[in-house]
Amino acid sequence: MNEADYKELKKGGMMRQAEAGLFSVRLHVVGGRLDTTQLRAIHDAADRFGRGEVHLTSRQGVEIPNVRQDSLSALKEFLSPSGVGVGVCGPTVRTVTACQGCRVCPSGVIDSPELADAADRAFYGKPVPHKFKIGVSGCVNNCMKAEENDAGIKGWIEPRWERGPCTLCGVCAAVCPTKAIATAEDGSLTVDLDLCIGCGDCIVSCPSGGMREARRGYRLFAGGKFGRKPFLGKRILGVLTTKEEAMAAITAVLEFFRAHGKPRERFGDTLERTGFDALERRVKEVTGL
Amino acid sequence: MTFVKVKMALQKIAPAGKLGVRLKEDALKNVISSLKTEGHAVTSVSREDGIFLLEVTKGGG
Repeated sequence: MNEADYKELKKGGMMRQAEAGLFSVRLHVVGGRLDTTQLRAIHDAADRFGRGEVHLTSRQGVEIPNVRQDSLSALKEFLSPSGVGVGVCGPTVRTVTACQGCRVCPSGVIDSPELADAADRAFYGKPVPHKFKIGVSGCVNNCMKAEENDAGIKGWIEPRWERGPCTLCGVCAAVCPTKAIATAEDGSLTVDLDLCIGCGDCIVSCPSGGMREARRGYRLFAGGKFGRKPFLGKRILGVLTTKEEAMAAITAVLEFFRAHGKPRERFGDTLERTGFDALERRVKEVTGL
Repeated sequence: MTFVKVKMALQKIAPAGKLGVRLKEDALKNVISSLKTEGHAVTSVSREDGIFLLEVTKGGG
């Protein structure tokens, strides 16, 4: 097989193995969720076309290893009725990862699977200068490691202080993990939103109702990656209060990468060249957020 | 574990009764949020040598 043919296969999620003639087939999984029909189909496909095993990837995906090149089309066809497609590789938007979100997890602030599905429908497999990973964490416990993604989302609760019911007991400041809450000279409380990590601990701990929820929603982190040269993504924009706003922001981020990224350059490296401010300015301009 | 102890102590008092709770800072969030969830109220908070002293009213939330 020539390199051009292999590149095409790889883009379609078929990855050459160390052993000649064998491929590991990446499947299209969104947010690590598969129904039992799909699991059965994958089980049967691994038996029929592989060696009866699957590999669970680091980003909630599934691969069927040890598939012969001449079986790749048949494997795709076999899985198709169950709704399991093959995955992607190469310079494309990759698997969108997600936690179980607020419908399942007591800590969840946002519906992570819902956003992951929307992002998958809009962006999955689309061409970009280099691989681009999107991950959705339902809250600041950050199980999906938002800052490790080119575009990462975290569920977020922004607090606001109300003088009326507050007894100045000091509990909110004591529980704040980043010490973002301080008492001013006039006796009022201030929340430093640059330090605030959106956990909402101050709100759930407040005995009097003085610390309240200003807004909850999605927080966007851009430019993160792991690999050979890890880099944590940085927070851009304020709290995005709807799924539509989050999608508009991710869309604008991707457009920025397409406009400024170079082939084989991860988004974080692009942002080192352009500056994060340039990204934030552009995203604000495009989305009005 | 801390909240379990508070809950057991609350079981021994009458509705609307008061319970004093001494807490270290690291237990504040879990205890207060659990008390609120279970319908009790923290009616006063003071501090003494780095320890938080809560007055809890049973069923007062």
